[in-house]
Amino acid sequence: MAVDRAPRRVGARVGHFAGFAGPGLTVYAGFVLVPILISAGYSLTNYNPFNPPTRYVGLANYRLLFTDEAFLTSLRVTTILTVIVVVTPNVAGLAIAVLLDRRGWLYNALRSVFFVPMVLSSVVVSIVWTRLLDNEGPINQALRAVGVDRPPGWLSDPDYALYSLGAILSWQLLGFCVVVYLAGLQGIPVELLEAAEMDGAGPGRRFWHVSWPLLAPALTINTVVLMISAFKVFDHVQVITRGGPGEGTTATIAFVVLRTAFEENRGGIASAQAVVMLTIIAAASAVALKLLRRREVEL
Amino acid sequence: MRKMIALVGATVLALSGCSVKDDAPDGGGGARQITFLTFETPNLTPQYWDAAIKRVTDQHPDIAVKRIVSPTQDRTAYAKQLLQSGQFPDVLIAVSPAGFAEAGELYAWSDKELENFLFPGNGAVNGKIYQLPANTQTIPVTYYNKDLFASAGIGAPPTTYQELLDAAAKLKAKNITPLVTGGVHDSVGPLVAGIWATDVYAKNPEWMKQRRAGTVKFCDPDPRKALGKVADLAAKGYVDRTSVARDYAAAQQAFLDGKGAMYAMGNWLAGALDGADKPKFAVGQFTWPGDADNRTVPAFTGGGLLVSAKSKNIEAARKFALAFQLDKTNLDNSAVADGLFPAIKGYAPPAGVGPAYRAGYDLYAKALAAKTVVPAFNFEAGGDAPLPGVGAKIDASVVDLITGKKTMEQVCAFLDSEWAKG
Repeated sequence: MAVDRAPRRVGARVGHFAGFAGPGLTVYAGFVLVPILISAGYSLTNYNPFNPPTRYVGLANYRLLFTDEAFLTSLRVTTILTVIVVVTPNVAGLAIAVLLDRRGWLYNALRSVFFVPMVLSSVVVSIVWTRLLDNEGPINQALRAVGVDRPPGWLSDPDYALYSLGAILSWQLLGFCVVVYLAGLQGIPVELLEAAEMDGAGPGRRFWHVSWPLLAPALTINTVVLMISAFKVFDHVQVITRGGPGEGTTATIAFVVLRTAFEENRGGIASAQAVVMLTIIAAASAVALKLLRRREVEL
Repeated sequence: MRKMIALVGATVLALSGCSVKDDAPDGGGGARQITFLTFETPNLTPQYWDAAIKRVTDQHPDIAVKRIVSPTQDRTAYAKQLLQSGQFPDVLIAVSPAGFAEAGELYAWSDKELENFLFPGNGAVNGKIYQLPANTQTIPVTYYNKDLFASAGIGAPPTTYQELLDAAAKLKAKNITPLVTGGVHDSVGPLVAGIWATDVYAKNPEWMKQRRAGTVKFCDPDPRKALGKVADLAAKGYVDRTSVARDYAAAQQAFLDGKGAMYAMGNWLAGALDGADKPKFAVGQFTWPGDADNRTVPAFTGGGLLVSAKSKNIEAARKFALAFQLDKTNLDNSAVADGLFPAIKGYAPPAGVGPAYRAGYDLYAKALAAKTVVPAFNFEAGGDAPLPGVGAKIDASVVDLITGKKTMEQVCAFLDSEWAKG
């Protein structure tokens, strides 16, 4: 009897697995994997909806990308933006989380306040900050009121625009970092901190030798999420600067992909750009995960 | 359960029996639904469009129109997006036909359908007309704030480029921004079109066609001179570098708020100057001056409706487009609201147009009589326009010149390399 039951159990388990995972896998394949494969296919063609017929061009689009000034500029812009967005909310978020890691209604309220930008639509955030950073906006008006004759053109000066964009993104993502770090801080056993205190460690040493190592998983999550968010940012660029001022000053890879596809009609090259972007995000995330997980400790 | 199925079935049948048919062949009963891509500006409000459409559908109750609004002023880019996502509208307005026409996406108007238009050959692509050549727009007219000119001691508008520079110097000395601009196509493009008209097109009106043929380049002496003038105006502080953050509406508002003395803009600004919210100061107009005179007027005739060649209701779309374009009230309203000069045979602007419209129309009529009308650079359509995508690069490069991010040499080389990408 036992011999007969085993194959049936395996069959039932496979059936159960297919029943539960099937719908999700189908949706994932239909809306993620298949479009990626189609895009990869287009990247090997000269696809231009305004200039048929479409033909296979091998890796020519990829070779062209690495001599294309606009794409190389977008790589540089995206890298700078990613560095700003990974570092600023991580550092500020950790500092704020440490300050908010207390009990009381005020701290609870402040946690909500810091998380609000995270739940706002990126378009709303972009419009609000465009108004604030306008040459005649409240920030420059305030600067003039305190004696700054010629306040910066935050979004119009090519020397400032990218950093202004980075600051806006950092502001919106700050709340996420605060919440993740707070969760990490509240998960640290009080006994460990008390033991360190009894051993004579002050607040600084307690943080550095006890809290910080145990916050490694939070750092991993924040870094990877921020990196992916920054690498694929499009909506803020579209609303706030439209890639400018001028040619490519704030044009991220995602922005250039859309412009190449829909303004220049070069669908094949845009697909190659998208594939390169996907590869960079996947590789950078994998490396970051690998490096950051090394310093995670088990309690 | 059966009752539920019957109820759902009855609902589906009832809904499918509604009168609008979006895919029924022409000639059948009921209204044919077509989609119409429009755009909105401070002058062309939702109410303006809805009323204009209603006038036509009242005359043709067999046509139902679903209006689509471009999310930005760049309706051509939006039309491309709609095309690539399989949602190309049946009718479009003021979209450049370049690219769409060559790909067979647009209907080519027949000579018979174009018989009422003054310039039936304008904006041709490979010899065929895909966009109704409905209106003429002068791009730019240079509008100036008479009060600010007077306060800077400037008695008359400039008639040469040197006089314009002298006026700008006097204005700047009084801490007045000489030229108002923005950073997007419709706000910075007219300034460039003015400079290009006097330095390039006045000598060679065929320049763009020759650029398409590869016989001229952006790095040739005349375009270099034009681009150099843009950089020079910014370097001298006559154009505020920070103004490139302004969009079209913000640039217009800045001029109407008196934040600068001159504003090179399409003649559609007359709609705002003659409207209810006209500025408190007096506004004059002059043609952007060249080195020797100010006789050259850049103008574009086109801007009308286009019809999708693959529309399921192409007969309704064609009928709607022609009726919309030739309706006298629509033409009058476009003249009043958007300062357009309808290029329709026998058409005369209504008596009620405002003084700003009339002054702009007179400048154009004078140039037309003197045969000094040239194309408006980067506002052309069809085979006379820059290659797809290059127009946006020109606008971005002009902003680079204004902000000082790039030199004239870098910009002309960049534009030639972008053109080479095809």
